[in-house]
Amino acid sequence: MALLSVEDLTVELQTSRGMAAAVRGVSFELERGGTLGIVGESGCGKSITALSLLGLLPDGARATGRIELDGTDLLSLDEAALCRIRGNRIAMIFQEPMTSLNPVHRIGRQIVEPLRLHRGLRGAGAQEEVLRLLDRVGLPDPARRINAYPHQLSGGQRQRVMIAIALSCAPDILLADEPTTALDVTIQGQILGLINELVEDSGMGLILISHDLGVIGETVDKVAVMYGGAVVEQGDTDNLFNNLAHPYSQGLFAAVPRPGAARPDRLQTIRGTVPELTDLPPACTFADRCAMATDICWRQVPKMAAIGPRGTVHQTACHHVEGVG
Amino acid sequence: MAQTETVTTEASVAATKPDFIHRALRHRAFMIGLVLTGTMIFLALLSLFWTPHSPTEIVISQKLKPPSMSHWFGTDQFGRDILSMIMAGAQTSIVVGLIAVSLGAVIGVSLGLWAAARRGWTEDAIMRVSDLNMAFPVILIAILLTAGWGPGITNAILALGIYNISVFARQVRGAAIGMWEREFVLAARAAGKGDVAITFGHVLPNIISVIVVQATISFAIAILAEAALSYLGVGSQPPDPSWGRMLAESQKYIFFKPVIAVWPGLAIVLSVLGLNLIGDGLRDLVDPRLARRR
Repeated sequence: MALLSVEDLTVELQTSRGMAAAVRGVSFELERGGTLGIVGESGCGKSITALSLLGLLPDGARATGRIELDGTDLLSLDEAALCRIRGNRIAMIFQEPMTSLNPVHRIGRQIVEPLRLHRGLRGAGAQEEVLRLLDRVGLPDPARRINAYPHQLSGGQRQRVMIAIALSCAPDILLADEPTTALDVTIQGQILGLINELVEDSGMGLILISHDLGVIGETVDKVAVMYGGAVVEQGDTDNLFNNLAHPYSQGLFAAVPRPGAARPDRLQTIRGTVPELTDLPPACTFADRCAMATDICWRQVPKMAAIGPRGTVHQTACHHVEGVG
Repeated sequence: MAQTETVTTEASVAATKPDFIHRALRHRAFMIGLVLTGTMIFLALLSLFWTPHSPTEIVISQKLKPPSMSHWFGTDQFGRDILSMIMAGAQTSIVVGLIAVSLGAVIGVSLGLWAAARRGWTEDAIMRVSDLNMAFPVILIAILLTAGWGPGITNAILALGIYNISVFARQVRGAAIGMWEREFVLAARAAGKGDVAITFGHVLPNIISVIVVQATISFAIAILAEAALSYLGVGSQPPDPSWGRMLAESQKYIFFKPVIAVWPGLAIVLSVLGLNLIGDGLRDLVDPRLARRR
């Protein structure tokens, strides 16, 4: 059985124009030790998907479907039970290391909190563990840094602290929502390297959310491409990157600038803009921007179907890909 | 960016308590406020043991004397020593301010935090009741209480305290809601912390500067309001000394002995100014983010 299995997850958010589906029928699985990347533009539902795994949706949001962690349906749990899972079995790191640490507490105290909350560690034992964690995430001179306030650290150092907090209870799953977006490129590489190393060492599962295809390609084994709240294509990273099937994925990959390419053509784009949640096309959410769209794309929601060579995992949801419909 | 970041890191890792005192000493407005308020507190404490003359002793033969060696600030229409009355009046002001602000702060902050953590109808209920309370000016609350239980300092304190509940509840709710939307609160929730732990561990410590500033300003307003209430006759009653009543009584002599009105007026202005300066200064000093720039 998969460690985490998400089945037909739909999340509706309250907007000024009524309920709007931000996530539509998303399904995926994560094995113990597996790594999954979720890629897509801003507003495609990646972050909402991640937050729904922790039961941290905004007020008035409604989630349906199933999210099973080791067979327990997270959507059916109450707040107290969710609090025991958050930070303990599923930990999350965020995009902005500048703002995700509390500015008024020293970082040592912020790392101790989950240790005390979930593992009951206190005093010298907790202190020792904090030093070990800070050392593990490669923060220089942890004994001194323990007493530093977040504003006294650089962006990369803060993200290391966030990772230490996330690791503190040895979670089964690490959710990383754009963990390197706010960092400059060299630090980005270091942080991704660190995450990869930690995932390999500890055997925890990783869900990496990013709009950066390079980051996804280097880091994870499986990828899900999201558009308009739905997963449009998913599969093993290598296979998917080499055999893009869905028109949206093709457009997304074509839009990546390639410095030093032979002919400096105009940058490829996908025509149109991401529609508002309330204005999404009724069936295939990409229909209004898709060059291949026909009648059926407006009438019938495309189903996920397997493509690609035997023995690999690769599915897409498009009426116009051969063998799918 | 990365460069300056590292420099500040090295410079301020050692940021500790002595550093706070050092910065406070260099904050001129804060120090002026501290001296003014310190003087007021010192005079009030001193008056508990010693005043130049008795603040309540009436010596008609000495009435309306100008300042002299034996009566530094002169005497009033009953021949009482004005300096002694100002000193004893500081007690009244401090007691009223302290109790009224504590009452308002303790209840108001709790309600504000509760409203921000719960949102929904809890918040609506708290804030609408608070609006209703704010619709009554403090003077009106005091007059209502006076109508029920008679005039006196206790009712003045109560009126100010009740009014302050709304002031603090509003301020704290607004600031706390802002905090609840911050990413570090989301991060704390993602780490499995409950509402109560987040309220006291993350929200309250981040808005403490708002509360401190509000407290000093409310203290100043309470001193003013006590003076106003006593001036109107619904605050402290004779013979208890009060700056507001001194001002009211000196009104009759304003054209031929204006100096008797100046002393209580000056006392009120300087103590209110002092508290406001402390409030502003503290806001700069207690906030680690602002502290870095000072």
